[in-house]
Amino acid sequence: MLRSAIEAGADSVYCGLRDETNARNFPGLNFSAAELADSVAFAHQRAAKVLVAVNTFARAGATDAWRRAVDTAVAAGADALIAADLAVLAYARDQHPGLRLHLSVQAAANSADAIAFYAANYGVRRVVLPRVLSAQEVAALVGEAPVEVEAFVFGGLCVMAEGRCALSSYATGRSPNLSGVCSPPEAVSFDRSGGALTPRLAGLAIDRFEAGETTGYPTLCKGRFSTAQGEGYLFEEPVSLNAMGLLKALRAAGVRAVKIEGRQRGKAYVARVAAAFRGAIDALERGEETAPFEKLLTDLAEGGRETAGAYRKVWR
Amino acid sequence: MRSRRRPVSPPADWLAGPMMALRSPVEHVLGQALRRISRRQPGVFERLQAYGSAIFLIAPAQWPVAFALTPRADGDVKVVPASAPGDFTARIEGRLEDLLDLFDGSLDADAAFFNRTVQVEGDTGAVLALHNALEAAELSVADLVPVGGAWLDRASRSARAAARRLRRAAR
Repeated sequence: MLRSAIEAGADSVYCGLRDETNARNFPGLNFSAAELADSVAFAHQRAAKVLVAVNTFARAGATDAWRRAVDTAVAAGADALIAADLAVLAYARDQHPGLRLHLSVQAAANSADAIAFYAANYGVRRVVLPRVLSAQEVAALVGEAPVEVEAFVFGGLCVMAEGRCALSSYATGRSPNLSGVCSPPEAVSFDRSGGALTPRLAGLAIDRFEAGETTGYPTLCKGRFSTAQGEGYLFEEPVSLNAMGLLKALRAAGVRAVKIEGRQRGKAYVARVAAAFRGAIDALERGEETAPFEKLLTDLAEGGRETAGAYRKVWR
Repeated sequence: MRSRRRPVSPPADWLAGPMMALRSPVEHVLGQALRRISRRQPGVFERLQAYGSAIFLIAPAQWPVAFALTPRADGDVKVVPASAPGDFTARIEGRLEDLLDLFDGSLDADAAFFNRTVQVEGDTGAVLALHNALEAAELSVADLVPVGGAWLDRASRSARAAARRLRRAAR
């Protein structure tokens, strides 16, 4: 998938090692140390960069895996480390002073003061913004932040404050923050009855999709619930983020890099999304509009629907 | 965890006999394919190590037979009746063309799941591991049937065309 992204025009690819040190710790996914080194070499031959995510929070008393992951990333020749845990950042700063550090979205740093703290104390050079800010708030933050800013523009959409969501942990005992996995697959099942599909997480019914109805990821935040106000999506509907229409504004605001989520998706997804955004960004560089690229990816979206998410939020 | 459930799509039972009669050469070819992949891309099976004893039931929609895959270098693929497949760890059902597209990575699995192009049941972790292992590999139809060069495209087109014909026959 890293190769697909680079061949489709990505400037950088973020990835992780095959363990709980990154927030996509799904079975069969991610890199061994040897695969990571090979992938970095492949990327560098094509003038692309590899950013390694060690962005879960280390467990007290069992921090060796996180130290080892940082060392492995450095040995592989990674261009930057993406981290959130203060201890991981401190270890990287102290042991690998030349290593470029990016603050993961998992740190949920959404104020200039918070970002300045990470910059001053750990030498962080870029912050990945949480997906809860409006376009105006992003623009204001870029003006105040002492480091480069990176923003998500496509893919899965967490509506929770990243790094602080306990929904998956509440239901299954495992979370993206500590275990690197939201809705761990061993806790997920799909019941079929006629044409209807009922996804369950640790036995809890999350939703029921009728025949022909598009589905979403089996996460509690995308569930349909019955409340005193009626039945419906309590937190968020199954939908994917697509902020391609905001690329121009984000660029004008000074956002340095845009991130496409989808590390657990496949080659077909990665190649199509990376190529579409490469085309849109190149169009902007030529002074053209991004409109021709904006409807190319709808069929890849969760629930078959897209949103600009908090970038165009009208709520508080 | 193994489940034993009845497939949703009604298979064309009258085709089951002839197809089961042909199962030995098909199982041989697919078993050889497993060993070839393990030689060329051992990483596929490393990623599936936790599921080396799992049985993946690959069920082309409306086919009278399904394929029971044990994903190890010394594993095998058995042709089983779709209506009585035996025990399985996870079951993946979809049109054969789509299953082939998932195999070579030209169809995005999550999108196929969202729009119900493929249906899964059983151990979700096993399905995800298989998906991720296939995505990390560079596989094509030629890895299933050893042909090369111009034959590759022809084999791929023939497999998909055969799938369409069989589906029509099963209606």
